[in-house]
Amino acid sequence: MKKLLSLMLALAMVLSLAACGGGKEEPAPGKESEKTEQPAEETKTGGKLVVYSALNEDNTIAIADQFKKDTGIEIEYISLGGGDAVARVQAEMGSPKADILVGGSVDLYGSLAEAGAFEAYDSPNNDTLDDRFNDPNHFWQGWYMGVLSIIVNEERFEKELAPKGVKMPETWDDLLDPAYKDVFVWANPTTAGGAYIATACQIFRLGEDGAWEYLKNLDKNVHHYYKGAGDVISPVATGEFIASIAWGHDSFKTQQEGYPLKLIIPKQTAYEIGGSAIVKGGPNTENAKVFIDWLLTKEAQELSVATSYRYPVRDDVAAPKGLPALSEVDLVNYDRAEASSMKETVLEKFEAEITSNR
Amino acid sequence: MAARTSAREAVKEMKRLKNEPLLLLAILAIILFVGFFVVYPVIRVIIFPGAEDYMKLFTKIRWFKAIKNSLFMTCISTITCTAVAFLFAYVIARLDVPCKGLFKFVTLLPIVSPPFIVALSYILLFGVQGIVTKQLLGLHVDIYGWFGLWIVQTVTFFPYAYSVIYGVIRSISTNLEYAAYNMGATRWQVFRDVFWPLCRPGVAGGALVAACNVLTDFGNPQMIGGDLALLPTEAYMQISGWYDMKTASVLAVALLIPAVILFMVQRFWVGRRSYVTITGKEISLNPFPVPKWVKWGLFALTMFISLFILLVYGTLFYGAFTKTWGYDWSLTLENLQYVFLKGKQIWNSIRYAFMASLGAAFLAMVLAYIVQKKQVGINKFLDFLGILPGAIPGMFLGIGFVMAFNTKPLELTGTSLIMILALLFWNIPTCYSSATAGLQQIGASVEDAALNLGANSFRSFKDVIIPLLKAPFMSSFVLSFLRSVTCLSVVIFLYAPETTVGTISVMVLVQSGQYGEAAAFTIVLITIAFTVLKLAQWVLGKQGIKLEL
Repeated sequence: MKKLLSLMLALAMVLSLAACGGGKEEPAPGKESEKTEQPAEETKTGGKLVVYSALNEDNTIAIADQFKKDTGIEIEYISLGGGDAVARVQAEMGSPKADILVGGSVDLYGSLAEAGAFEAYDSPNNDTLDDRFNDPNHFWQGWYMGVLSIIVNEERFEKELAPKGVKMPETWDDLLDPAYKDVFVWANPTTAGGAYIATACQIFRLGEDGAWEYLKNLDKNVHHYYKGAGDVISPVATGEFIASIAWGHDSFKTQQEGYPLKLIIPKQTAYEIGGSAIVKGGPNTENAKVFIDWLLTKEAQELSVATSYRYPVRDDVAAPKGLPALSEVDLVNYDRAEASSMKETVLEKFEAEITSNR
Repeated sequence: MAARTSAREAVKEMKRLKNEPLLLLAILAIILFVGFFVVYPVIRVIIFPGAEDYMKLFTKIRWFKAIKNSLFMTCISTITCTAVAFLFAYVIARLDVPCKGLFKFVTLLPIVSPPFIVALSYILLFGVQGIVTKQLLGLHVDIYGWFGLWIVQTVTFFPYAYSVIYGVIRSISTNLEYAAYNMGATRWQVFRDVFWPLCRPGVAGGALVAACNVLTDFGNPQMIGGDLALLPTEAYMQISGWYDMKTASVLAVALLIPAVILFMVQRFWVGRRSYVTITGKEISLNPFPVPKWVKWGLFALTMFISLFILLVYGTLFYGAFTKTWGYDWSLTLENLQYVFLKGKQIWNSIRYAFMASLGAAFLAMVLAYIVQKKQVGINKFLDFLGILPGAIPGMFLGIGFVMAFNTKPLELTGTSLIMILALLFWNIPTCYSSATAGLQQIGASVEDAALNLGANSFRSFKDVIIPLLKAPFMSSFVLSFLRSVTCLSVVIFLYAPETTVGTISVMVLVQSGQYGEAAAFTIVLITIAFTVLKLAQWVLGKQGIKLEL
């Protein structure tokens, strides 16, 4: 045993030495090599920027590469879910480690802004944007838009529902067709912010009474409610279930993997504004401002559209390929203030009238 | 009156510590460590929400239900986990059957599963459209809900109970059983009156570890629980779905209540009885043979469960090499490409896991020794400290760590050290249960002999107790190691760009729908973890130390 202990201790010491000597993460792989040849013409500020990213990783990498090329600033990122990123920034408030938070709905930025976690910054590049993308207090900046979609497993749909005469769904009301009974799944708004936006969407679309009738009818088709908004994507992609409701940009990546997943943007759909915000007291605040400015440039917006399924906020950047232009998407008149003030009531009603009867 | 006498006893016991400075030092160090790295971070989480946030627990039906559901699931899953674990332990330790290597292997597999990805495998096999359930058997079963979750949790968490129970069964001497047989007892009587009572500390310890894991599990309920609301998932979803840390903290704190209940029930059941079997005069005979039908019946059952686990992990393995997980089954190596970009992460995973498990196994052993063998007045308190970290869902230990160690005087966030420390304390209960169960079998006479011969506490611990505890020490080390390599919940709030570990990549891949790549990453992690263990086994074997996997 003594031998064993000393052996293990020795090993532990070697490992901890290695821990101290551990260098930096290798630069992000990818297009780096081809790009280094042509130096960018902008004035390079250099330095680094620590990013907490709620975007897809390859999306983050693409942004980091291009940002470095344009500004000379090296991005160190970690990938987290939007909620995890918020929790982390909040927990680190005493001595922030991140400079900037990027991705996720601006709804999530609200509580952090209130807590005083963000540095206000009004980018000179946001003047031409629609008002809804700019925080009146400048704590966050909207830089993309995501829309709610109906997602359908095309293969199973064609095999099982089409022969019954069911048409590919186009509207929210199409989902009430009894043919979807038990092959439709959804997320529970009590636990999933995205599902709440879809719930509120029905309220704005149909009015209070109409919406509850709709939700109760939809409930008859729901096999079960998942906990997270994104949890519905994998079961529909693999054909465990046939249809659901999810964010277009979240489902897009899965579709790109080769699954027979169809995304449909129904009329009167709701949307989220994707944000970015500067962490107050972060190590590289000046670079964070450069980043916000950069995110709103035409080039960065085009990059974001090309590497994700997100709508740009600038009028002069085209919509994602295969999607209608934003001006043609029929958006519900979504009142964010109203949605957040009625949240508690709606969720309690949802629990009492829908979930507890299951 | 009784309380006062026992308090006086306690004070008297504490005074005696003056004569044993080393023991006193050890106790102080442990209290300091656990207090600083477990209690303090937890308190930071507890005081984060305000009183009005706590009131919500009583006003919201859903959360009240969640508490109830969590207790229910923990009860039934713990019972089955313990039963399956006992079966495996008994078959491996006591029966002369083939395939023991396989059985041992499958008790390690579920420990190395990062959350979410294995659930995908279950759904693929046993879901509504499951390959086994629908396509093979033509059944219309529904895995989503408490029943499916029950099975999945049983399979996922029985290994924790197994490792404790096996350690105990293996060291129960067969002499007592022979004595009973010689006196004319039937097999059933021997089992009920001799064998089973001696297993009790192991079974209880194993059950407690399994229960803690079931209670704080959030990956399986999220994917398989269906409409069932459970506390850890509700808590996590308040963060990931609603960005509401305060409510999440309240729910996490609520988890401490069932945990304390579990702890008390378990300690009550084990009681103050004696389970001593190692007394210093040891000769053990081969296990008394059991009837053929019992032997092969148990073997068949064990085999069935093993094949089930192999199927689930086999699917994961196969899926790692297919084009599109669950859809396009053509083979490819492409999924592995991503892994090679993340070599540093895998290295971090192994490194942190190794150091954390070593620390945890050692600290837990010292703690268990003091609690079991020394009367120091605060044994119950120390005992509770050993099991406390298990009641805290990993992610809240993580959040607590960030809150507690993000500013001076001890600014640790972003370092490797914080990752190691968090994993270390997260693993203490697992190791502690194992060590405790082992220690409860070692009679005082062995140590008394050493003490009479002039050894002090430290000497007897080092030369008598440690060698006897080698098996539980190694098994808890292995368990913690595997568990840490694939741990996500604890590290998710602690990692920095340079200290990223492999499970983070698995999570990122699952989030962006790259299930095949996620499976490949998982497989690589599992393989590396096992390779490291095999290597350790080989190196130690050369030194003449047997590391049992």
